[in-house]
Amino acid sequence: MMAHPSAASPRAVSSLPSTVTFPVKRDLRMPRPGILRSAPRSATLAVLAGTAAIGLALTGCTSAAPTGDSATPVAGGTLTYASGDAEPTCLDPHVGGNYPQALVSGQFLESLVSLNSDGEVIPWLADSWTVSDDGLTWEFTLKDGVTFTDGTPLDAAAVQANIAHLQDPATGSSTGYLALAKVTGTEAVSDSVVRLTLAQPDSALLESLSQPWLAIESPTALERSQDENCAAPVGTGPFIVDSWVKQNAITLVRNDDYTSPPADAEHEGPAYLDSITWRFIPDSASRYAALQAGEVDVIDNAQPDTISQAEASDTIVHLDAPRPGASNRIELNSGKAPFNDAAVREAFIRSANVDDAVATLFQGSAERSYSALSSVEPLGISRPDLFDYDPDAAAALLDEAGWSEKDSDGYRVKDGVRLTVVFPVSTNQSIPAEQSLFEQIQATAKETGFDVQLTKLDLSSWYTALGSNAYDAVSAPYTKVGPDVLRILFDSAGITPAPSGYFANHAQLNDPELDSLLAQANATNDADTRAALYADAQDIVLEGFYILPLYDQQNHFLLSSAVEGARAMPTVSTPAFYDAWLTS
Amino acid sequence: MADQLTRARLGGLGRRLAGAVFVLWAVATVTFFAVRLIPGDPAEAILGGPGSQTSAEALAAVRAEYGLDQPLSLQYLHQLGRLATGDLGRSYALNMDVGPLVLSQLGGTLVLALLSLTVAWLIALLLATWSTGRGRLARQIGSGLEIVAAALPHFWLATTLIVVFSIWWGVLPPISTADARGLVLPVVTLAIPLAGFLGQVMRESLTAALESPFVLSARARGESERGVLWRHALRHAALPAIGLSGWAFGSLISGAVVVETIFARPGLGRTLLNAVTVRDVPVVIGVVMIVALVYILMTVLTDLASRLADPRPMSTGTGAGA
Repeated sequence: MMAHPSAASPRAVSSLPSTVTFPVKRDLRMPRPGILRSAPRSATLAVLAGTAAIGLALTGCTSAAPTGDSATPVAGGTLTYASGDAEPTCLDPHVGGNYPQALVSGQFLESLVSLNSDGEVIPWLADSWTVSDDGLTWEFTLKDGVTFTDGTPLDAAAVQANIAHLQDPATGSSTGYLALAKVTGTEAVSDSVVRLTLAQPDSALLESLSQPWLAIESPTALERSQDENCAAPVGTGPFIVDSWVKQNAITLVRNDDYTSPPADAEHEGPAYLDSITWRFIPDSASRYAALQAGEVDVIDNAQPDTISQAEASDTIVHLDAPRPGASNRIELNSGKAPFNDAAVREAFIRSANVDDAVATLFQGSAERSYSALSSVEPLGISRPDLFDYDPDAAAALLDEAGWSEKDSDGYRVKDGVRLTVVFPVSTNQSIPAEQSLFEQIQATAKETGFDVQLTKLDLSSWYTALGSNAYDAVSAPYTKVGPDVLRILFDSAGITPAPSGYFANHAQLNDPELDSLLAQANATNDADTRAALYADAQDIVLEGFYILPLYDQQNHFLLSSAVEGARAMPTVSTPAFYDAWLTS
Repeated sequence: MADQLTRARLGGLGRRLAGAVFVLWAVATVTFFAVRLIPGDPAEAILGGPGSQTSAEALAAVRAEYGLDQPLSLQYLHQLGRLATGDLGRSYALNMDVGPLVLSQLGGTLVLALLSLTVAWLIALLLATWSTGRGRLARQIGSGLEIVAAALPHFWLATTLIVVFSIWWGVLPPISTADARGLVLPVVTLAIPLAGFLGQVMRESLTAALESPFVLSARARGESERGVLWRHALRHAALPAIGLSGWAFGSLISGAVVVETIFARPGLGRTLLNAVTVRDVPVVIGVVMIVALVYILMTVLTDLASRLADPRPMSTGTGAGA
């Protein structure tokens, strides 16, 4: 299961050629105080985005021969997609709100705004938007002439109904609910203009609204029972849910009246594909075998071994789309011994040989990260200087911190207590290569005298271990669009568990200065100030050795070379097949 | 005399029914408590799984709605009460009633299991009849093949079959398809180890039967070797294998968990695996109950089949069935 996402900015593909650069400057990303984002400006943005998107889509694949540049899209055909993620229990991403839901709902639901490959907010169902000087009032002007696939028009009342649906406790939304925490009221200014009122300024609002978990659904359809809406949500998207045979497949058919592609789409009008068959193949080897055998056209959750095989194949194309939000990292529990001592945290990080292990275990498919944020986050900062493998320095740090003696097994001891690191590993969230990486870290840290106790647990037991504070180190992914993820992961408020026992601040980082920086960053609408505040906040996290960054949250798709024009959305890196067509 | 016979038969039927009810009760009880041993809160499972940032109110509402705020013993009694009326309850995770869910998945698994059982029987019969009465070498080859087959783990076999037939030769799909092609590899995966077990049992009893006096007398009457083998010895030899088929069916259902996952087939095995993973107690109990019921039915059927195949004269009472 995925963690909770909320605001975004990745580029779709990690290895874009440098010639494809987005021509809009980064400081346009957030509206400045006093400058209302006007329609003409957004229109310019849209044109620029469209131009860039053509280049992007044509180079969207990182391996195999690019054949797309000369081909003309062909309409028709069925694309079969095989997901390794769990089958959603509800196709409406308002309910709950996890990554498996986002994967499929992106094919039939759309959001108010999207992001381009540079992480800039671009128009989607909303043509333009403005924010008041105090940051408390936002107005969105909706695209003209858009109807949901049940015939209901997209208007201000529809957006109001969606926000009400997300904020209604009966819906059971977690991701969307959190993202709208500061929204206190909605109002239909006219049929096509909707106003949101906030309790406090929220610099992450647009990023939040770009996420699939806050997609806009037909208000008529939302009035049905939750069971009905879960089975076939109704949106404005390029495809429509036709049927869902549980544990078998979801069938999506083309929406022939489609008019609302995001500003960076490659074409207008209906999608090329007749339909998409969305299957669930939990076993990684079977999924890859099905792709090789031509039974499916696209697979997700590709593992390092199959990626390296695919790289060597000329019939399979690899699409690397790291998820936004936090990097994958080991969080050190600073709330109790031994990691309440910064020197011991640094010693652990210096004693772990991560680089060599990542290189061997991921076979080149993952790049080492030195950041708290995903590499697709424009505001992320990277500090390679802090994370060198240096066992001598680690030993010196431990000696100085009082862990100078070793017991007969070679582990460090202090006052008769062994230097133990309890490390529960979730087998649901850590792929096999990552679990092996933890074992390698265990082995190298042992040489310095750490007794790392790895326990592999199912998701429930893992959450129980975390909830009862029975861990010293832990690794948990967190997908969310934008740097506001830092506030969720490192604000001291995140140490207090929610009623369900869930809490996000696994490092138990409790620093008033950091809390204040993160709160200011979330409240400012000035792009430069925001960037500077987030940079300072990341320095505190990284220099305090609270986390050991590993790599971006891995998200690899493998596509048959017969599929052209598919891409990963720059929001949360889910696949988009609106521009896709089949060549054979 | 006839009355006595009927009464004895009715008694046998009653005992069998009581046994079946006992088995179902035991299965429900063990499953109920075993699932509770998994750490975590079922209310969270209902609200989207552990880690969902649910409010205290939502958790309390769900606990009340599903009766999770009551003492465990009361929950257990309620569960039994519902089961007694045939109500399997409602899935925590899937937003649907367990009865229809399990029934919708039962077909796929039954087809898989029955086809696998049939194919396993065919393979075992062929191997046993080929290798018996053909000298030591043939017997050793047959026995060797059976031991190897019986020892093959399903996941290994499945992966190997996929590599050979789907990737190298490209003749069979590695996942379920709308037509029957997708059934071939899963059926073969389940049938091969089972054929190993059945074959071993069958050949042992076939060898014993061929050495017994009634075969000698059949030969003395001038029956052909083929006639002796197929008409007399095989009926004896089949008995233990038929008895084993009830057990085999159970093992096929457990094999289905692996096979349905690898070959991405809809079915009870995959339903069970998913339900255990997300702690969906009603679905786990529902699947286990249905499997137990089918298992009991299979045992009755194999009993009947044994009586039909048993060439010995029928005795009074409950007869030869175990």
